[in-house]
Amino acid sequence: MVYYLIICRSLTYAQRTVRILERAGISGHVMKTPRSISKEGCNYCVKISEQRLTDSLKVLRREGMAPKQIYLQNADGAYREVKP
Amino acid sequence: MIYLDSAATTLQKPSTVSTAVAGAIKSVASPGRGGYRAGMRAAELMYQCREMAANLFHVPDPEHVVLTANATHGLNLAIHSLVRPGGTVLISGYEHNAVTRPLYGRKDLTIRVAAGRLFDSDGDYEAFERAMTDDVDVVVCNHVSNVFGFIQPIERIAALCRSRGKPLIVDASQSAGTLPVDLTGWGAAFVAMPGHKGLYGPQGTGLLLCSCETRPLIFGGTGSNSLRQDMPDFLPDRLEAGTPNVCGAAGLLAGMRFIQQRGMDNIFRHEQRLCRRMMDLVAAAPGVRVFRGDNSQSGLFSFVAEGADSETIGGLLGQRGIAVRAGLHCAPLAHQTAGTLDSGTVRVSFSAFNTMEQVERAATAIRMAVKTARTR
Repeated sequence: MVYYLIICRSLTYAQRTVRILERAGISGHVMKTPRSISKEGCNYCVKISEQRLTDSLKVLRREGMAPKQIYLQNADGAYREVKP
Repeated sequence: MIYLDSAATTLQKPSTVSTAVAGAIKSVASPGRGGYRAGMRAAELMYQCREMAANLFHVPDPEHVVLTANATHGLNLAIHSLVRPGGTVLISGYEHNAVTRPLYGRKDLTIRVAAGRLFDSDGDYEAFERAMTDDVDVVVCNHVSNVFGFIQPIERIAALCRSRGKPLIVDASQSAGTLPVDLTGWGAAFVAMPGHKGLYGPQGTGLLLCSCETRPLIFGGTGSNSLRQDMPDFLPDRLEAGTPNVCGAAGLLAGMRFIQQRGMDNIFRHEQRLCRRMMDLVAAAPGVRVFRGDNSQSGLFSFVAEGADSETIGGLLGQRGIAVRAGLHCAPLAHQTAGTLDSGTVRVSFSAFNTMEQVERAATAIRMAVKTARTR
């Protein structure tokens, strides 16, 4: 499976992101950001399925919460930064 | 015991509060540290607590709800964030030491007091209007006096602050849970409140609602931006270093749910009804002066008795199983404004769990205690 990770500045921000997505019918999951991609140390991100990225971005932008960093997690587990 | 000291802390809590605290002790780890289930459960509790507070008190988003140890902690954070060296601060004449000590402790500040007469809402507002000159940097005002239950005209004071461009810190210690508290509507910079009084949470909990730039008082780990040696520049992390009181937050959440279910207005009217009846009964005793303000008074009041020391009355009542608080209530400024600094007062305060039957019994005990105190 391929996933996107929306990097969040804090756990609370990640939780808020998930709530907003849930209200729009998009399921997201808060998890710790993998160390290899967390540039400023420990942090949290929201994991969403590949198919829901476009909708998620639309919803988050509407709420003034446009993500600054997004990573694609490939089936082999490798991460690649994508443009939000 | 008849507990009539809810202005200090509510002793009787909804049963859901202790259940929630006990449940959290057994099941949660530290939030924002690990990604495992017990850590994420803790994080979810904390978030629900912020979310509930944001709903109740009109905070635009849960990130701007900071969990504190008590209202004093929140007020210190707010004052530290807003009051710059050499600044001028305008406060009401009814502030608690939680406001005055952090201000007077800073020797470089000019502190001005807008001292309106007790229970005179118009006069109180006018005192603010006169004192809020250009040189004032920050305004601090409590919503309800912890000594007299005087509901200050906070909506009008907030509007005045907005029109004059002065940031406002509101101490909602005696109003949160019974009166509308509205961070956004007031346009306040900060609103601080305890979790353990009108919100029925456990002691060691409080909330600071923020709408402006903040400065931390405590530095340390937040589980975020950990490579950096300065504190995160975002809330709530910026003001919440160290492991938070998750079990307390679980209890506070249960307390706020109770308020939401019962309705703030219903709780307020219940307390006010008990308060008015008690004031009538106590005022009927000879030589007793009850400080009452009718529509500008919440569910607590103070009284003094001619020829009887307030602490002696409080002590006698304690021996008879009636819990009230006597003395200065950590608010000498309020007593100075009302003219009761020398005598202190006996304060009686109510919660959602008091009954009219308790009021009748306690009033009889108060009349007896006053009589006995006069013979000492």
